[in-house]
Amino acid sequence: MAEYAPVDLTVENQVEFELDGRRVAAPAGTMLADACYAHGVEIPIFCYEPRIGPPIGACRMCLVEVEGMRGLQTACSTPVAPDMVVRTTTDAVKEAQDGVLEVLLANHPLDCPVCDKGGECPLQDRTFKFGPGTSRYVEPKRHQPKPLNLSHRIALDRERCISCFRCVRFSQEVAQDGELTMQERGARSEITTFSGDPYRGRFSGNIIDVCPVGALTSIPYRFVSRPWDVQNTPSVCGLCPVGCNTELTVREGRTKRVTGRPEPNPAVEEGWLCDTGRWAYDASWSQARITAAVVREATGDRTATLEDAVDGAAALLRGRTAGILVGTAATVEEAGIAADLAGGALPGAVVARMGIPGGALAPLRALPGAQLGDVDDADLVVVAGGDPSAQQPVAELRLRKARRFGATVTGCGPRPHALEALGTFIRTAPGDLAAGVASLAEAIAAATRPVVMWDEADLAGEPAAAEALAAAIAANPAARQLELGAEVNGSGLRALGLPDAGAVLDAVRAGTVDALLLVHADPLDAPGRAAWDAALEGFAGPVIAIASHADATTERADLVLPALTMWEQEGTLVSMNGRVQRLRPGARGPEGAAAGWELLVALAHRLGVVPGYRTAAAAFRAVTAGRPAFAGITPEAAGVLGVPLAAPAQVAGASAPPPASGEGVPLVATRTVYGGAAARRSAALADTAAPAELRMAPDTAAAHWVNDGDRVVLRSSSGESGRLTVRVGDGLPEGVVFAPLGAPGSPTEGVLPADMAPVLVRVARVEAG
Amino acid sequence: MDADRIRAHLDPIRHEFADPRSLVMPALKFAQTEKGHLTREDMAAVAEATGYSPSFIESVASFYDRLYTRPVGNRVVSVCVTLSCMLRGADEVWDALCEHEGVDHHHGGTSADGRITIQEAQCLGYCDKGACIQVDAEETKGPYTPEEAVKLVEELREAPTPAELWR
Amino acid sequence: MPILNSVYRHREAGRPLTELAAYREAGGYKALESVLGETDADDLQYAFVRSGLRGRGGAGFPMGRKASFLPKDSRLPKYVVCNADESEPGTFKDREIMEMNPFQLLEGLTLAGYAIGAVRGYIYIRGEYEHQARVLDAAVRAAREAGFLGKDLLRSGFDYDITVYRGAGAYICGEETALLESLEGKRGQPRLKPPFPAVAGLYGSPTLINNVETLTALPPIVTRGADWYAALGPEKSPGTKLFSISGHVVRPGNYEIVLGDTTLRELIFEHAGGLREGRRVKAVWVGGSSVPVIGEEHLDTPLDYESLQGIGTALGSGGCIVMDDSGCIVRACLRLASFYRHESCGKCSPCREGTSWFERILQRMVDGDGRMEDFELLESLFRRVSGKTLCPLADGAIAPIRSAIKLFRDDFIRVCQEGSPRPEPMLPASVG
Repeated sequence: MAEYAPVDLTVENQVEFELDGRRVAAPAGTMLADACYAHGVEIPIFCYEPRIGPPIGACRMCLVEVEGMRGLQTACSTPVAPDMVVRTTTDAVKEAQDGVLEVLLANHPLDCPVCDKGGECPLQDRTFKFGPGTSRYVEPKRHQPKPLNLSHRIALDRERCISCFRCVRFSQEVAQDGELTMQERGARSEITTFSGDPYRGRFSGNIIDVCPVGALTSIPYRFVSRPWDVQNTPSVCGLCPVGCNTELTVREGRTKRVTGRPEPNPAVEEGWLCDTGRWAYDASWSQARITAAVVREATGDRTATLEDAVDGAAALLRGRTAGILVGTAATVEEAGIAADLAGGALPGAVVARMGIPGGALAPLRALPGAQLGDVDDADLVVVAGGDPSAQQPVAELRLRKARRFGATVTGCGPRPHALEALGTFIRTAPGDLAAGVASLAEAIAAATRPVVMWDEADLAGEPAAAEALAAAIAANPAARQLELGAEVNGSGLRALGLPDAGAVLDAVRAGTVDALLLVHADPLDAPGRAAWDAALEGFAGPVIAIASHADATTERADLVLPALTMWEQEGTLVSMNGRVQRLRPGARGPEGAAAGWELLVALAHRLGVVPGYRTAAAAFRAVTAGRPAFAGITPEAAGVLGVPLAAPAQVAGASAPPPASGEGVPLVATRTVYGGAAARRSAALADTAAPAELRMAPDTAAAHWVNDGDRVVLRSSSGESGRLTVRVGDGLPEGVVFAPLGAPGSPTEGVLPADMAPVLVRVARVEAG
Repeated sequence: MDADRIRAHLDPIRHEFADPRSLVMPALKFAQTEKGHLTREDMAAVAEATGYSPSFIESVASFYDRLYTRPVGNRVVSVCVTLSCMLRGADEVWDALCEHEGVDHHHGGTSADGRITIQEAQCLGYCDKGACIQVDAEETKGPYTPEEAVKLVEELREAPTPAELWR
Repeated sequence: MPILNSVYRHREAGRPLTELAAYREAGGYKALESVLGETDADDLQYAFVRSGLRGRGGAGFPMGRKASFLPKDSRLPKYVVCNADESEPGTFKDREIMEMNPFQLLEGLTLAGYAIGAVRGYIYIRGEYEHQARVLDAAVRAAREAGFLGKDLLRSGFDYDITVYRGAGAYICGEETALLESLEGKRGQPRLKPPFPAVAGLYGSPTLINNVETLTALPPIVTRGADWYAALGPEKSPGTKLFSISGHVVRPGNYEIVLGDTTLRELIFEHAGGLREGRRVKAVWVGGSSVPVIGEEHLDTPLDYESLQGIGTALGSGGCIVMDDSGCIVRACLRLASFYRHESCGKCSPCREGTSWFERILQRMVDGDGRMEDFELLESLFRRVSGKTLCPLADGAIAPIRSAIKLFRDDFIRVCQEGSPRPEPMLPASVG
């Protein structure tokens, strides 16, 4: 159970002690509660949650007898000691457990039958197991007005709260968002935000997972199901490249809830999810969901059965040379089968991946890599470029944890971000990340166990900086690098050896392909959009899209095959730091849709080439065979917690982008996971959508003749943006403008090149504010 | 109260504390002197002046009896009701004051004209002068009879409100 | 009233010693002058140990030993914190020391700072004592101007200053780790121990925490010698002690006695002027409200740590509340239960929920709705809560009620059945 810290009983030099008459051992420093759990003895707890921080001894549920110590001791805060004699089942212990449960239940409402937590409630479970059985409380219970909304997503029922402090400690110490605190005192204590404002935070949903009672519940999950009516499936989040391990709660074929795993992955998310990963699942039945195949004909669109649509797709592709473009969220299986088509069913096909070419990143990726869990042991954590809070959310929590445990956090980059307050950050001019890297080299060299996080997009755009950073890391043999990737399965696609999208784009332009197959790929909603837009404009061949949601590209496709989402299908994703992890199907998905890999297999069949695999697992084995990065990795080996790639996922044949040229002001774009594309499709996250804003400092605004509130478009050598609203803010550097990727309508994407090379933009006002 | 005024109040004592969080309480007490209680804006200003989150500031303020996160009257009259004072007539003083100010006998409250708040206080440390009463944070006085206590609030009602409300 | 030593110097002087000159005239700062640059800090600490002085805040832990727990080799700065959060019901001794003799506290706090090598002393004073805090503020300024605080005290090379820090109304801040939390600008909720403040106290640094009265006893211990102090009263816990006496007595106030040489009866009837005509002692909470209550039969007990412990109560803070036979013991218990419910910080569950529950049961009893099974229920709750909480507040809530039910069971049974009408209080006019 997640509530106890994992204990490694295999290390040397353990401390031996006596537990209820048994001689047992645990590593020095292990708290009794954890040591007992590791030896099969459950000490009941409520406030203890080792992932949040050191014990606080507040709930008093874990009292045990320790020979020689006066009174009972809290097992959560007493470390094992040599020859300690611990008793957990004596009358005195039982009396204490009865006492704590009795007082906790005194004012706790007896509404378990209508409580979402019922059936999976630690208070309920521990009352059955350790409680007094009857209540002697005859006084009127404390009453509070019924639940209030802590935010659009979290309901707080104050009557049920047992003041364990887990949620407020999560907010204050783990997320450090400063939002949730205990207010008032004594029996009137209650958890709340400032003046009852909505809880604003990127990780707020974790307080639901840590709540040991039904005080904090998920509003989208309220009254949806009971624990005995659902199946829980361990899976992985496919919304960003961190690869957080999740648990899908499924009922009647639908994903009803996503939570952190009860057995978290210590190497990745440690049980914490960002709010996007937790609540985006309702996107799988959003308006934009493609529930049936669409065939676009001169007379109009018609829907088709899956059978007919695959036949139709095969007919369109037969005899043609196809360009196959694989999107960055496609699984290893989907990308691998797509690549396989070129060797058989679609001979001569050009297969490429979307995402950053990253030609300059090879030396960085070749260096020893770290997993997120390794950040805990670092004495120095460097963040080179990027904005982890926005782009790789859960990485933020590791950084905060490292800082909390005393590591020095430092970094450099062109954009202000939420983590700068954790240490000394050097703001670099756009295009001059190398200067920032140079100033960090000394600290990296001097550290004992440094971990250097580097942003894929920023470093890919600045080859000089990438080279300098690689040299700085290489200079310290103890240093490890951790890629802050830009794309969900970027590593997986690279590990399969797929070239970057330029290969297909060039072929389309040159006319060497005469059909296009898009696998979860939407090039019209990504950097480089302008080039694709132009290329597709002149493309006469058929366009076939395998996609789960309608987007700009499916709108232009001749045939759309409806695919399952990450909540519905099997497959493999490789996280930004090369961790191979498996998606497991929770929900069924729409009747008329199928998994992308199945659609591709069916297509191969129709085209007359029968692949040698019929399951996702077999497909994985087949498509990864001979790929050094996947050597020795099987779906079984990946297990529940995943395994790291056998070799770095290097890119094939990409070249480094040139420095920015032309005229205008440098644009710094930031991908947003929290508030990005997922927020556009999820009703639960609608209020988090990042506004389409162009932010700049006052003098910069003046220099470009724009004011706060103006609507503008940007133009660069790569294209033109959609409309953005100007926001003038103090505290931003002058001479640079900032815009988000993934904002509604994807305005920024149009002005950027596909390789995310630095750009200069001209700002044109189209409407005064 | 605005954050600059709070900062100016804290500047001379900043060096006395190794951790600036210790400035939170002096900041709250000072912020409260303006209106006699802490509004949302006051707490936000304390947050700004000290660098801690508004929610944290409110959590601290709401913990202490003498920091008021809800409006109180111009003058706050604290009647000690703990054992020693009870034995010396505190309940009679309390009842008389609640009656006189027209406020709830269980919880006390603020008079309709907003001038006087009557509140229960736990042991004020003037048990030798029970039944004792403290007005704002002025020196506690006693012993009071119910009649003398009523006279006290009548005088308070007439007297000008101090410029700074230390409570 | 006998003045036994200079702990209570202002009464000897016949005036408040709030002016530095007056304090100097009464022999003030002689102790500090004799020590600075002359006595080794360790020797001074040893003198405190030899004096036998026990903490006067309530727990009675030997002061010198507490100081010796601070690590000698710590690279962190050290602090002394004076606990002036005097909030124990019935206790008002520190108040009088601070308002009448503030410099002696400052001198004691400086001596303690010197003994442990502290960089600063803090006086955490309860928010309601704003008047006393201002007296202390003025005294600190005067002491600083005269070179008794600040850089290079009396050219000894010792730098030391004092900050007066005001609480804002919370009894729990008298618990030392809650006090530290509050002094660090947080909610005053007790910390889990270990670590103890001696090792990781204020800002995580080694910290010595002592009560006002304890620190004020240091200057006379230095000037007249640890041996002199150790010879006062009982061998095991010697010295003088202030008793605050209040409730149904004619002359409530602070009285200083040599431990062991005065009985409770003498304190009530000689020092405090006895009771009203025709009244008898019903109940006495001799060491503040958190100690077990005793009855008339124990009036001849000498006032010292061991003797009071011997009759099942404790010396505590020395806040002696006397109730005569006009009072209702159940009402008194309810009033104390309300106090502890109000002051429970809410951090640990048995105290947060338990203190509310105690109050509700007692309220029912006073209303005449008590049930016989409530006695068993209360005793069972006391057993389940007592000793299992994060700090001693809940034990303090339990002790007076539990002892009262034992001692005055008949009264409780009668009140359960009949309720308890409010008794006539002792009004100023009724005192001769």
